[in-house]
Amino acid sequence: MTDMMIHARNVTLTLGSGEAATEILRGIDLDLAKGERLAILGASGSGKSSLMAVLSGLERANGGTVTIVGQDFTTLDEDRLAEARRGRIGIVLQAFHLLPTMTALENVAVPMELAGHDDPFGAAKAELEAVGLGHRLDHYPAQLSGGEQQRVAIARALGPRPGLIFADEPTGNLDATTGAAVMDLLFERCDATGSTLVVITHEPVLAKRCNRVIELADGLMIADRVS
Amino acid sequence: MSDWRLAWTIGRRELDWRFRGLRLLFFSLLLGVAALAAVGSLAAAMERGLDDRGSVILGGDVEFARSARAATAEELALFEGAGRVAESVAMTSTAVTGERSIPVQLKAVDGGYPLYGALKLADGRTVGAPAAGTAWIDSALARRVPLGSNFRLGTKSFRAAGVIAEEPDRLGEGFSLGPVVMVGMTDLPATGLMQPGSLFEIRYRIATGANVEALEEEIVKAFPAGGWESKTRDNAAPGAGRFFSRMAEFLTLIVLTALVIAGIGIANAVASFLRARQSTIATLKVLGADSAMVRRIYAIQIALVAGLATLFGLGIGALAVPIVSRAAANVLPIALETRLAWAPLLLAAGFGLLTAAAASALPLTRAATVPAAGLLRGSVEGRRVSLARGLPWLLVPAALILALALGTASRPLLTAFYLGAVAGVLALLAGLGWLVRWGSAKVPRPKGPFLRLALAGLHRPGAGTIGLVVALGIGLTMFVQIAAVRSSFDANLQQNIPERAPAFFALDVPRDRAEEFRGIVIAASPRAEVQLVPLLRGTITGYGATNVADLAEIPDGAWALRGERGMTYAEDLPSGSSLVAGKWWPKDYAGPPLVSVDERLAEALKLRLGDELRFSIYGSERKATIASFRRIDWDTLGFNFVLVLSPNALADVPHNLSATIGLPKGADAAVRDGIAARFPSTSLVPVRDVLEQVGEVAAGVSVAIAWAASAAILAGIAVLAGTTSAMREARTYDGVVLRVLGATRRQLLWLQALEFLLLAALVTLVALALGLAGAWLIVTMLFDFVWSPDPWLVAATLGVGLVTVLLVGLAGSLSSLSARPSRALRTL
Repeated sequence: MTDMMIHARNVTLTLGSGEAATEILRGIDLDLAKGERLAILGASGSGKSSLMAVLSGLERANGGTVTIVGQDFTTLDEDRLAEARRGRIGIVLQAFHLLPTMTALENVAVPMELAGHDDPFGAAKAELEAVGLGHRLDHYPAQLSGGEQQRVAIARALGPRPGLIFADEPTGNLDATTGAAVMDLLFERCDATGSTLVVITHEPVLAKRCNRVIELADGLMIADRVS
Repeated sequence: MSDWRLAWTIGRRELDWRFRGLRLLFFSLLLGVAALAAVGSLAAAMERGLDDRGSVILGGDVEFARSARAATAEELALFEGAGRVAESVAMTSTAVTGERSIPVQLKAVDGGYPLYGALKLADGRTVGAPAAGTAWIDSALARRVPLGSNFRLGTKSFRAAGVIAEEPDRLGEGFSLGPVVMVGMTDLPATGLMQPGSLFEIRYRIATGANVEALEEEIVKAFPAGGWESKTRDNAAPGAGRFFSRMAEFLTLIVLTALVIAGIGIANAVASFLRARQSTIATLKVLGADSAMVRRIYAIQIALVAGLATLFGLGIGALAVPIVSRAAANVLPIALETRLAWAPLLLAAGFGLLTAAAASALPLTRAATVPAAGLLRGSVEGRRVSLARGLPWLLVPAALILALALGTASRPLLTAFYLGAVAGVLALLAGLGWLVRWGSAKVPRPKGPFLRLALAGLHRPGAGTIGLVVALGIGLTMFVQIAAVRSSFDANLQQNIPERAPAFFALDVPRDRAEEFRGIVIAASPRAEVQLVPLLRGTITGYGATNVADLAEIPDGAWALRGERGMTYAEDLPSGSSLVAGKWWPKDYAGPPLVSVDERLAEALKLRLGDELRFSIYGSERKATIASFRRIDWDTLGFNFVLVLSPNALADVPHNLSATIGLPKGADAAVRDGIAARFPSTSLVPVRDVLEQVGEVAAGVSVAIAWAASAAILAGIAVLAGTTSAMREARTYDGVVLRVLGATRRQLLWLQALEFLLLAALVTLVALALGLAGAWLIVTMLFDFVWSPDPWLVAATLGVGLVTVLLVGLAGSLSSLSARPSRALRTL
C-alpha cells in the first residue's frame, strides 16, 4: 500500500438535500499507484471535477472511504484537509486561479511558504525557470498571457514537489497550440519530479497521453482502461 | 410607453424585493433618518411642552419680578387691574432641625397660588398655600425632616405638613440651591429673613386674558426705573428653553454627521450593488437600453428602497417621543407633548432622501455610462469613466442638503462651520486612505505570504482602503471623543473643582456683623479662609447711547444683560481678576462713580473706557463711568462679578454680604452649626450641592451626546461592514485559492485581522488627534469646562473601539471563509 497514491472505495457525493438532492458520485472505486498517469474522461456533469475535488480533499465524500498518500481523507475536517494537501498534493485549475496581487514568483512561493519550505523563493525561482518563465518572475498575473499564467499555475503545483498532481481541464481556457505546449510541460515536469498525475479532461487526444483512463457518466465509473 | 413607465416596469420586475445588495443602503438610511427624526421630534415635543404649558410653568400669563422690593400701591393697582394676581417670594435659606441645618429654596406663596395647574402632595391631596405655621416640603427634604416634625426657617418654626409631589411651576423657577420649602406669605415676616439688603425675589404672577406683551410694555413705560424683570407664558422658562434649543441644535449637528457618514455607506452600497448587476446592465444595453434608461431603472430601484428606509426611519424617530417620555419621565423637567410633529419628520425625510440621491449619483453614472462590451468583458474596476455627467446629480442634492441645514439652523454660521469641519475631517481621512493605498504599494514586499497579502489587500484594484480608513477613522474618532468628553466632565465635577472650591457659600451675612461672622468661622476652624464681599442685585439698563430695553436681540456673549445680576463694590482689585485695560480707582476714591467691567462683556458690547454704564438697583437708576476692564478666572468658583463698582457708587444702598468659606477636611459640621446658631437669617450653601446639580445637568448632556454620537458610530460601523462586504468577492477568491494551496481557515482569519490591524494602527493616531480635538472644542468652547480627559479611559475606550471595528470587519469577512473551495472554484 505504500506505493498506492489513491485508494478510494464506494465513494458517494450528494449535493443539496430533500427533493433538491442530486447524486453527483455514485459508488466510485479507484486505486492509483505511484508514478501512474490517469485521465478522467466524461461529458459535462458526469462528475469528473467532483471526483477530483473529493480525491484532492477540496470536497468531503458523503460515503465510502478515500485514502490519499496513505492518509484517510474521510475523517478529516476542512482545515486538516488543507494541511494534508500541503506539500503532498498539487492542483492545476482550468481558470489558473493565481492570486492577482502577487507576482509570478510570489504566487509560486505561497504553497511552499505554507508548507514551511526552507527556501520558498529560491525553489519558486527554479521552478519558474523550469517552466520557461525565468524572465517573468516579477510580473503580475494580469501582465501574463493565458499560457504563461497556466505555466505559473503548473510551477505553483509542482514547486513543493508533491507526490500527486491533479489537473482539472488545464487547457480548457487556452487555444489548441498553447494548450498542447502546456500539456507537454505538465507531463515533462511530472516526469522530472516523479509526481503521479491525474488529469480531468473531455479530450480523448489528451487522455491518450496517460497510461490509464477512466470514464464517468452520471456519477458512475463506466470504463477503466489501462494501456 | 413613456421612458419612466418602461423603466418602472423593468425596474420593478428586476428588483429583488428582499433587497439583497441594497440592505446596507436600507440600514444606513434608516439609521440616519431615524436619528434625525428622533432628535427633531424630541426637540419639538420639548418645545411644544414648554409652549403649551407656558402658563402653568410660569404660574401665570405674565410675571413681574424684582429683588427685595414689594410692589408699590400704584404698581399693584396696575397688576390687579390686568387680572388675578398671585404674589410669591423666593430665596435661598437654611432649614434648621435640631443640630442639623439644611440649605433650602424657600418659596412663600399667597392664597392665589397656583393660578394655573395644581399643586399636588404625595398623599394625593391637591392644595394651595400651606396654613399658618406649616410648610409643604420637597421629597428630598422629607428624607431628613420627617413629615409632622418641626424645623426652623430664620427665627420661625414650621411643621412639615405635606410632601410635594407635583409643583406646577417648578421649571419656571429655574436653578435652585436646595430642596423646596413652601410656606404661606403671611408667615414670612416672622422668619426675619426679609431684612433690608437681604437677597430675595418678589414675584407677581397675573392670570389675564389681556395681551401680555402690551402689559409688559405698559409696566415698563409706567415705571421705567421699577427694575421689573418680566416673563410671559410664551417664554416661561427662558433658560430651559434656550438650553433645550441649543442642545437640540448641537445634537442635530452630530446626527447630521451620522447622516453624512451614512451617505458614504450608501454610496458604497449602491456601487457594489451596481457592480453585481453588471451582466444584467450589459444584457439590457445589448437589448437596446441606453444609458439614461439604465440610470432610470436603477434610480427607481434605489428610490424605492430609500423611500421605504426613510418611512421606517421616520416611524422609529417618531416613536422616540413616547418611548423617552415614558422611560425618562422622572428625569425630564416637563411632560413631553406626544402629538406627532410633522415638521421635524419632513425635515428628516428631506435630509435622508437627498443624501440617498447625492450618494447614488456617481455610482449610477458609472454603471450607466460604461459601454455594454466593457461590461460583458467583466469588471469595470480601473476603467476610467467620465463622471462629469453625473456631477449635477450629485451637486444639486448636495446643495439642497446644505441649504436645508443652513435654512433650518438658528445659528447658520455655526452650522456652516460645523459642516465645514466635518467635511474637512472626512477629506482628511479620505486623503489618509489614499496615502495608505499609495504607500502600501510602495513599501518593500515582506517575505511572509500573509503580511504580503494583507499589504496587497490595501492597494489591489477595487480595494476599499479609502472607505475603510474613513469608516475606521470616524468610528474611532467618535469613541475617543465620547471618552474624552465624559471623562473631562467627570473630572471637572468630581476632582478638579472641589479641590480648589470653597466648602460653603454664605448668603445674607449682615453687613454690620461681618467680623462676628468671620470670628465664628475661625473659631470653629482656625485654618478656614473666609472672603466676604458685598452682594447686591441689579439690572444693566443701558450703556453708551444704547438702552437695553431697545435691543431687538441680546448680542452673543452678553448674557449679563439678561435679567438681574449680582454686583459688588470693592476698594481693591478682587482676587481672581486681573486688569487688562484702564486703571483701578485709588483708595478712598470719592469722585464720580466708576465701574470695572468683565473684558468678555466689554467685547460683546463693544464698550470703551470712559463709556457710561447705567443700571437699576432696587428701583433706583444709577450710572457709572467705565474705568477699567478685567479678566476673570471663572474657574475659581468664588464670587466673580461682571460689574465691580467703586465703593462710593453703592455704599448707600442697603445690602448684606456674601461669603465664600474654604475649609480643611472635616470642619464642615462645626462651621455650619456655629453659623446656624448665631446667624439664623444667613443661608449656608454647601458647594458640593451646587456642583451636584450642575453635575446632573452635565451628566444628562453627556448622555445625550453619547446617544447622538452612537448614531455616528453605528453609521461608521455600517460603512465598515459595507466596505468589507464589497471586498468579499476578492477576499473569497484569495481565500479559496490559498485553501487549495493548503492554508487553514485560522490562517485566513489571521490574514483578514492583519489587514484590519495594519489599517487600524495607521488610523488610530489620526483618530486620537481628531477625537481629542473635537472633544476639546466641546468641553472648552461649548461648555466652558476645564480640559481634563482621563488618558487611561481614552486609551481603554480606543482599545474597545479597535476591538469593535476589528470584530465588525472580521464578521464581514466570515462568509468568505465558509465558502467551500470546490464549489467556489466553479463560480470564481
